[in-house]
Amino acid sequence: MENAKKRKIVRYAVTAYLVAQVLALLLYYIISRPEKVTSISVERTEQPPVFPDYRSVTIPYNIAPLNFRLDIPADACYAKVEGNGGGALECYGTNQIRFTPKEWTRLLAENKGKSISVTVSTRTNGEWTRWAPFHMAVSERAIDSHLVYRLIEPGYEKWHIVGIYQRDLESFDERPIVRNDMTGYNCVNCHSFCMNDPSRMMFHMRAENGGTYVIQDGKIEKLNTKTDGTISNMTYPYWHPSGNFITTSVNDIRQFFHSVKEKKMEVFDLESDVIVYDVRHKEILSKASLITKDAFETFPSFSPDGKWLYFCSAPARQMPADYDKVRYNLCRVAFDPEKGEIRFPVDTLVRADSLSYTFPRISPDGRFLMYTETAYGQFPIWHTDAEIRMLDLENRAQVDMSALNSPDTESYHSWSSNSDWVVFSTRRDNGLYTLPYICLIGKDGKPTRPFLLPQADPDTYDYQLYSYNIPEFAKGAVEVSPYAIQEAARKNKPAQVRFK
Amino acid sequence: MFQTTGGYFRERLAEVGGLNEYLTEFLTLAFSKPYGASLVIALLLGGASILFHAFIRACGVRVSILFAMLPLFLCWIYPLESIAPLVAVVFSLLLAFAYTLIGNDKVRYAIGCLFVAGSYVAAAPAHLLVGMLMAVYELCAKQGKIRWVAAATGIAWSLLLPLVAMRTLYIIPMREAFLSKHLYHPEYPVPASFWYVWFSFPVLVLLLHGMRNREFIRTGFLRRLIPYACLLAGIVGGVWHGKNPMEQAYRYDFYARQGEWKRIVEHARTHPVQDKDALIYLNLALSHTGRLSSDLMRFTQFGEEGLIPHDPKSRMGLIEASEVAWQVGQVNAAQRFAFVGVLSSQRCVQPRLMKRLVETYLVTGEYRAAAKYIKILESTPPYREWAMTQKALLDSVVCAKTDWVVAKRAMLPVTDNPFDLTLTFPNALAYLIDDHADNREAFDYGMAYLLLYKDLMPFMHYMEMKRDRKESFPVLYQEAICLFYAAVRKDPEAFRSYAVSQEVQDRFLQFMKAASNMPPAVLKERFGDTYYYYAQFAPTPKQRK
Repeated sequence: MENAKKRKIVRYAVTAYLVAQVLALLLYYIISRPEKVTSISVERTEQPPVFPDYRSVTIPYNIAPLNFRLDIPADACYAKVEGNGGGALECYGTNQIRFTPKEWTRLLAENKGKSISVTVSTRTNGEWTRWAPFHMAVSERAIDSHLVYRLIEPGYEKWHIVGIYQRDLESFDERPIVRNDMTGYNCVNCHSFCMNDPSRMMFHMRAENGGTYVIQDGKIEKLNTKTDGTISNMTYPYWHPSGNFITTSVNDIRQFFHSVKEKKMEVFDLESDVIVYDVRHKEILSKASLITKDAFETFPSFSPDGKWLYFCSAPARQMPADYDKVRYNLCRVAFDPEKGEIRFPVDTLVRADSLSYTFPRISPDGRFLMYTETAYGQFPIWHTDAEIRMLDLENRAQVDMSALNSPDTESYHSWSSNSDWVVFSTRRDNGLYTLPYICLIGKDGKPTRPFLLPQADPDTYDYQLYSYNIPEFAKGAVEVSPYAIQEAARKNKPAQVRFK
Repeated sequence: MFQTTGGYFRERLAEVGGLNEYLTEFLTLAFSKPYGASLVIALLLGGASILFHAFIRACGVRVSILFAMLPLFLCWIYPLESIAPLVAVVFSLLLAFAYTLIGNDKVRYAIGCLFVAGSYVAAAPAHLLVGMLMAVYELCAKQGKIRWVAAATGIAWSLLLPLVAMRTLYIIPMREAFLSKHLYHPEYPVPASFWYVWFSFPVLVLLLHGMRNREFIRTGFLRRLIPYACLLAGIVGGVWHGKNPMEQAYRYDFYARQGEWKRIVEHARTHPVQDKDALIYLNLALSHTGRLSSDLMRFTQFGEEGLIPHDPKSRMGLIEASEVAWQVGQVNAAQRFAFVGVLSSQRCVQPRLMKRLVETYLVTGEYRAAAKYIKILESTPPYREWAMTQKALLDSVVCAKTDWVVAKRAMLPVTDNPFDLTLTFPNALAYLIDDHADNREAFDYGMAYLLLYKDLMPFMHYMEMKRDRKESFPVLYQEAICLFYAAVRKDPEAFRSYAVSQEVQDRFLQFMKAASNMPPAVLKERFGDTYYYYAQFAPTPKQRK
């Protein structure tokens, strides 16, 4: 066959293909146009089962659309959202409701401090059923614009892809801050911000390119934090509000796996101490550290005024034999940021008589101390009994947190910069993967019903094989490029931290 | 793991070369059918040959299609982990051939740029091959100086594109930006075969183009015959000599997946096991068929490594560890190995291990976790039916009445212990046996371990327990008992308390008489399947400290 003829055939084929494509798109558009709700055949008095369960939750006015899925068989569905303060929006779907972001944002803005009601109708066998509406309260308290978390396969000793990501809470945009496939498939962990400030961040890398990475105003420092005076590298960190210090624990961490079905795995320390690191002078301050042989100290944090160092402490025991007998008290000790020293005595805030307490986090306004309670140990991620508790520091009274907790694990938690919102990780959905739930904490400390971090596709969590680890609010986006971190990891030699 | 969900498709589309992976996974679905793999691979190889031949002709070279097959022989010489590189080659050749059909130079250049970009997004590193072939076409089929510019631009564009993409579309490591993460496991070095395959196409065209006017064989008959003879000789030689060292292990892995344990044993009778992976499957098959305590010595044994892999990290090692743990009733460990295997799988997620996760979570009563994996498996065509049938078990009452769940739950460990099967196999097994003396699989594995290491004292401790429970002794154990009372503790009274058959005793006596004076080969032929022969003549495997 001649080339000219061949070309003619190809030309015809391409033209025919393009025409067919346009026709197919037109046909798809016509077919997929939502069928309007004509007449309602059945009125149901109960609310529809939806996932995520956004019924009766309180949400910030600047949150991304709370798209959801209907967990009932339906050929089509329709949702009408009406605001108490005015405005409405409609949405059609098959079994998912995905709101238009613009309309959603407008509706929430119109209903700040009020509530919105969602009325769902479903079509089955040609008949429309209307379900009882459910409501969401729209708080006028804004939430920090970003949530930073690590995505990791849950629980076991090996990992493949680990990354620290930032999610814009006002949209569905998720971007990596650092991902381990760029740094030699090492472990990346324990990110922490100074008072929710995205320009002051730190995290660790283990194994290849190992070190502690401190990011301040776009500059990346790589540190070797193991010194002669400390038992390990820096582990669980928390920034001093001034940004001049970071308190961390140093831990000799071990883990083992249970053989009985009731338990999965255990993470414990053979020994641990709490130290304070001076960011400006690259020194670990011995006078501000709690290094003892007769006690395990871990999970430190500073008070928002910077004058107190909170930590967990348990009498040292024979490990691993007594792994299930170690119970941590919640303590604090005065900290002098001018001298870089702690001042005794230690004040025990929550005494571990029969339970163990961990992850102390003080609200930025200094009013509340939130922590996790579990039967034993300090790493409750696999303890189904783990619950979040809160102490009102004004009167040292416990706040009822039952609205926030579930029968499954609740573990890590962190505060928003305005002390109004808390994000925490929980296994309540499937018992295996930790997911981030967000909750409003009222002025009296009472939590509202928490809601799951919304996703553009409500099925995302069903197919996702990663846990959300260490969710932390940030007031904006972390601007440092992952490539800059990659370059620092590969090229920078770690600066040795001194023990002073 | 191919999934039919829109989310999965979108996820693949968002990755460099993701569409190629999507198509690869889709085509790989056929591998579970008889001859499915052969058919798909034949179609891909055939398609690649035809397209490459057409491309060669478009470059102005008239040669037999056999020359177009030459680069594809590299795929045989260097076995591929998956068909992803082959799919990318077909895609590249298709675009390269389409490029040659465009007559107008300017239009061709413009479309060529789009082809390179499209092939990058859809099937990187196909863009490198597309760029090279476009350059080769310009050099071979076109005239004038502009062809050099076009060729250089094509190659430069294909090399520059990943760098542009890294700064605009994707946040990915350099290697992934150029080669995608799908063709070869990103944690291992890129095999040299990749470069051989990728460069062989343009290099061959240039060579053929350089020799297009030369005539090496003048006789028409010979010219037709010799290439075919070479092809035939190559295929025969390849089939004859090309042995994959993992062939046996993969074969057993396939049988194990189908639950065809007997076939493993039958195959091993005629094909001695070559490596530890195959031996682990063989011993597992013996356990599944209830013959571990009778036929263990009929096959060459390597020691503990032949019972369970040590601290597995590879895909196959984790599958094997999970299978053995599941078999001996250590459900938590089976779950953990499956879990690690799912995530460390070389080609994304493994549905087979996900299936095991469903089973383990059903046994442990963690129904929500089981439901999550069932939902994922429902979107995976080969596992859809299985997943749908498991949904009924999410009802705890139905689950509690299901035979296999009941059987597994009956053997669940009662006493907690921190021992890892793959690190401290005998200790972990000892707990399982202590918890459930009727856990036959764990017991047989435990005894197999002790016998392989010729550790007869603890073995006899278990035999005493067995005797006291008035249980029968398989032949292997009887042979070990004979040996113990003949060589270690000469106590006829105690020996008589064990139910050792007269036949076993007689054979043992024959062995004792013959062992010192019979030629080794004859002795092995007559007694090679007995434990006392193993104890006497086989070296004790090196024990891990």
